[in-house]
Amino acid sequence: MSDIQLVNLVKSYGEMQAVKKISLHIKEGEFFSLLGPSGCGKSTTLRMIAGFVMPSAGRILIGSDEVTHLPPEKRDIGIVFQNYAIFPHMSVAENIAFGLKLRKKSQAEIEITVTSALRQVGLVGYEDRYQRQLSGGEQQRVALARVLVTKPRILLLDEPLSALDKALREEMKYWIKELQRTLGITTVYVTHDQDEALTMSDRIGVMQKGRLEQVGSPEDIYERPETLFVTTFIGHSNVINVTVKGRDNGKTVVSFGANTILARALEGEVAPGSAAKLVVRPENVVIGRTGEGLPATVLTENYQGALVRYRLSLGEQEIVVERQNQSNVSRFAPGEEVGVSWDPERSEVLVA
Amino acid sequence: MRGESAIPFAFRVISWLTLAILLIPVVIVILAGLNSGDYLTFPPQGLSLRWVVAFLTSETFLPAFGTSLLIALITTLISTIIGTMAALVLSRARGRIVNALRVLFILPIVLPGIVVGLALYVFYISTDVGLARTMAGLIIGHVIVTCPFVIATVTAVLVGFDRSLEEAARSLGASPFTAFRLVTLKVISSSISAGAIFAFIISFGQFEVTLFLSGPNLQTLPITMYTALRYSFEPTAAAAGIFAIFLVVAATVTTSRITDLKRIFGR
Repeated sequence: MSDIQLVNLVKSYGEMQAVKKISLHIKEGEFFSLLGPSGCGKSTTLRMIAGFVMPSAGRILIGSDEVTHLPPEKRDIGIVFQNYAIFPHMSVAENIAFGLKLRKKSQAEIEITVTSALRQVGLVGYEDRYQRQLSGGEQQRVALARVLVTKPRILLLDEPLSALDKALREEMKYWIKELQRTLGITTVYVTHDQDEALTMSDRIGVMQKGRLEQVGSPEDIYERPETLFVTTFIGHSNVINVTVKGRDNGKTVVSFGANTILARALEGEVAPGSAAKLVVRPENVVIGRTGEGLPATVLTENYQGALVRYRLSLGEQEIVVERQNQSNVSRFAPGEEVGVSWDPERSEVLVA
Repeated sequence: MRGESAIPFAFRVISWLTLAILLIPVVIVILAGLNSGDYLTFPPQGLSLRWVVAFLTSETFLPAFGTSLLIALITTLISTIIGTMAALVLSRARGRIVNALRVLFILPIVLPGIVVGLALYVFYISTDVGLARTMAGLIIGHVIVTCPFVIATVTAVLVGFDRSLEEAARSLGASPFTAFRLVTLKVISSSISAGAIFAFIISFGQFEVTLFLSGPNLQTLPITMYTALRYSFEPTAAAAGIFAIFLVVAATVTTSRITDLKRIFGR
């Protein structure tokens, strides 16, 4: 078994708590992303799993083994760093053979393994090159090959794409995911890029200020955000200040200004009259003619090619709406009176 | 010339002038050592190898050359090891004590050699450590003087050293020591060699500290040359200088062949 369990994990530096009591179970074979802004504690958490940072409190288990106080070399972990950390004084082949030599494999076995690893990462013919002769993408492939030949129980990736240009990043995103799926290796991926996390992950843990805000599938995180932070960090969201009125037929009734609408049911009881936030994604808002939904006024229209983005005033507040730019969809001009609506199931009420 | 080089003409003139000023003494020593006359004069009265032969058969110069070489080699070995270890601590540890240590380790560079020499001399003769006028005592003095240069060179490269290289090695299964030996040490090896060259050259030519710590049976080449020139103005000293120059040049060239000096000074 190679699942990972973090139990009440804490890391403090003096007064500052970088990681505040995180508990998390990462399943075997899962691609798990830790997503959050810089300084949210995601890298510290990864470094604690790797053994480079000793937790101040809490436990880390890999499979059934407690590794909390084991040094990195005893954890059987593969890690790829943001800068790839290719040994500059060794050739590509020597880099990949590094872990195998430490494991006292025979020369013949090392050669076979290195050759097949190079084939796996598409770098056949690069054996004798050095780090300075490799592009960022190539260095990353070497770093992955170097780690994978040692057959680690888990794979840790620390922002591996952030140093690449955009086109290569897209390509590597799918390549890494495919490689991970083929190998079925439990993977923890640290990133601040929501696109990477959403496309690659089986599950995502969103972190902020040393805490796990929400753990769930990409769909959960994007469509059913549980906190305001998750809502605003992942994608763009309209956040409307509302007052909770009560329940109706399994939905939550909220009001703002003169409008009263339905939204997805809140979990738990909320006293009527409490202030809350209503969250709607721009792509879920439908614009129609006046009378079709809530009255609103177009403030600006912003043409973006495949999308057209509108800023509307809705009562006292402003919302953003995105529409696919298709030939059969009419456009709206600034100043125009429109009606907006959305599927209540596509809107979320968050009580502050 | 225009458009060929980005370096302004005036700068190039200054560079050549500086180089000339630095090299003229070397040329003078070599020519003076090849003098055929009886006294140390310049320009030489004619060329001959008579003073070179005199050096090679001398009962004072040749042993002094050997002593200097031996002391420089031992000093280099000790300074390189201690200096590298000190640089590792100074560049990685944090705290007030480390800051104080950093200043302390670099102090011998700024302290006049006379002060270091005098201090050690007084210490040796006023205590019973038994180091006065011994080779061990002299080597200690040389290590104190040369170590800061090793520390400075090695620290310079360690500051830019990417710790994730070590971490990568650790997670691939290397113990802290193995990771250090197979990765860190290899990556910083050329700057260690550069530090070692500095230590060797400085130790070989060291004068002020040596002046206090040498004895009648412990004469290094610089001391012997100084003494010789004070009492007789023989060209043998200049001939000895030729050998000293060639030794230092050979040491530098050999080391730069083994390691890539360009990488250290070229960054």
